Amino acid sequence: MIDALRYEWVRLRTIRSTYWLIGGALVFQLVFAVLIAVSLDRSTTFGGGDETFDVLATIGGSTGAPLLMAYIVGLLGVFSTGHEYRHGMIRATLTAIPNRTHVFAAKMISTAVISAATAVCCVLIGLACIGVFGLDMPTGSRFVELTGGIVLYTALFSLSGLAFAALVRNQTAAVALLMLVPSLFEFIVQSIVVIIKTNTDDPQSSGGVTVILTYLPYDAGSQMYVQSSINGFLQRTLGAEPFGALGGGTVMGVFVAALLAGAHALFLRRDA
Amino acid sequence: MALIEARSLGKSFGTHRAVEDLSFTVHPGSVTGFLGPNGSGKSTTMRLMLGLDRGQGSTTFDGLTFAELDHPMRHVGALLEAKPFHPTRKARNHLRMLAAPNGIADRRVDEVIEMVGLTGVAGGRPGSFSLGMGQRLGIAAALLGDPHTLILDEPSNGLDPQGITWLRNLLKFLASQGRSVFVSSHLLQEMGLLADELVVIGRGRMLANGPVQDFVSHSGLASVSVRSPDLSVLGPALEAIGATVTADGDAVVVRGATAEQIGDAAHAAGARVHQLTTRQATLEEAFLAATGLDEEFRGTRAGGRP
Repeated sequence: MIDALRYEWVRLRTIRSTYWLIGGALVFQLVFAVLIAVSLDRSTTFGGGDETFDVLATIGGSTGAPLLMAYIVGLLGVFSTGHEYRHGMIRATLTAIPNRTHVFAAKMISTAVISAATAVCCVLIGLACIGVFGLDMPTGSRFVELTGGIVLYTALFSLSGLAFAALVRNQTAAVALLMLVPSLFEFIVQSIVVIIKTNTDDPQSSGGVTVILTYLPYDAGSQMYVQSSINGFLQRTLGAEPFGALGGGTVMGVFVAALLAGAHALFLRRDA
Repeated sequence: MALIEARSLGKSFGTHRAVEDLSFTVHPGSVTGFLGPNGSGKSTTMRLMLGLDRGQGSTTFDGLTFAELDHPMRHVGALLEAKPFHPTRKARNHLRMLAAPNGIADRRVDEVIEMVGLTGVAGGRPGSFSLGMGQRLGIAAALLGDPHTLILDEPSNGLDPQGITWLRNLLKFLASQGRSVFVSSHLLQEMGLLADELVVIGRGRMLANGPVQDFVSHSGLASVSVRSPDLSVLGPALEAIGATVTADGDAVVVRGATAEQIGDAAHAAGARVHQLTTRQATLEEAFLAATGLDEEFRGTRAGGRP
């Protein structure tokens, strides 16, 4: 296993896309954190408090917008496996490390660690902006809670990218899946549920198809960093109670674990 | 030094049987050529040997499967396809990456880069490499762990004549050190110069396995050219001993009899012989004769005839 991790360590360090993606995520975070900090600094209506940290650390993701940094970092997960197939590297990799489980596990670990580390840096950039612009510092508990949520969501997001690439063995298709499933696919499902529910006799009744909304994995996972006042607004409107940060994170975790388990099983079975 | 033993290798793609019950042995200290027409299953067989493709049978290297080898690149070096690298990862880094999990020092990386003649471009990105340079990088990767066994799929692809000569000398040298070298190639003339033993397959099935000389001599294509002023007497005498006689200008070409048998037959028949020239079949002729009916993909000549 250590051998496979050594391979991954050199692989990540010797390819430009690693630096581009991490650098891109950090620059994105810095630029937008500064812009948001400037506007919050001038705002007379913004409440401040923990919400300042929420908005800056997630670049608006806490208000229900996508956590864009995760979309950038998630490409590391796609490339981790996608490059193997796009450039015919998989056979060379498996002649260096024949144990496929070790190869797959090393990719999972390296992807999760590097994604989590990048997410932590992004959070710290948000925190630094708060300090530089003299905005409200978060409470200790909120800092830990939100940082944990962002880090976990980003790592799971990247791992889902890894799994998509391993399942379809096509980097372009995996990128498309990672970009479209959390946004377009889940949005379409939400729209269909809304249409069905609003055409029932009692749109706000609990149960029924609305339950589906609570199990949309990326939306559920986003509850780990979305403000509780916004969290699950759509579900509540339609009579479903969202799982919250812990439950939502579990839904996303189970989804990503299932993807990874399927990808690993196929990786063991398929020809390289 | 490793003995490669492939036993009952088999592989299907859907309903197509790509490799069927292949068993052979590659001995240390020899170069074993792997021949077969396009689509005959050579690359699939090599991938099966290394556990990269899932199929039937097993291959052992001194009794261990590839997956059981600790630090496998130190035991078996493989080149399985052209340009198996990321185009923007520097050549040296590509080798460092493969070396890392096998406990191979960076010093060895520089050694193999020099060995394959890529020192000048070691810091370059292989996306801009020619096919030949890419092959050299692939060969460097195969040599990285100083392995006792080499499995090379078409390593001479893209190499210029100097490169082919270099590769031939390198592989012969490595075999002379007692290593096992298993190499496929479409260059039959080159294989004739390189290989000691052959494994010949067609449509995934074994056609021949053994020393190159045996394969060529057993092809039945050797002939003897005979010039004689008494062909009217000699011809029937040769046919009487089972030889086939074909007119060729003022001589005849005799198949199915050795020069000694022809001389004895001429003596017994009282025929004078002015010239007796033995002509051995080439590896190419023997290969085409062996695989003629097992060609997976056959082109057509102008006019539509095969």
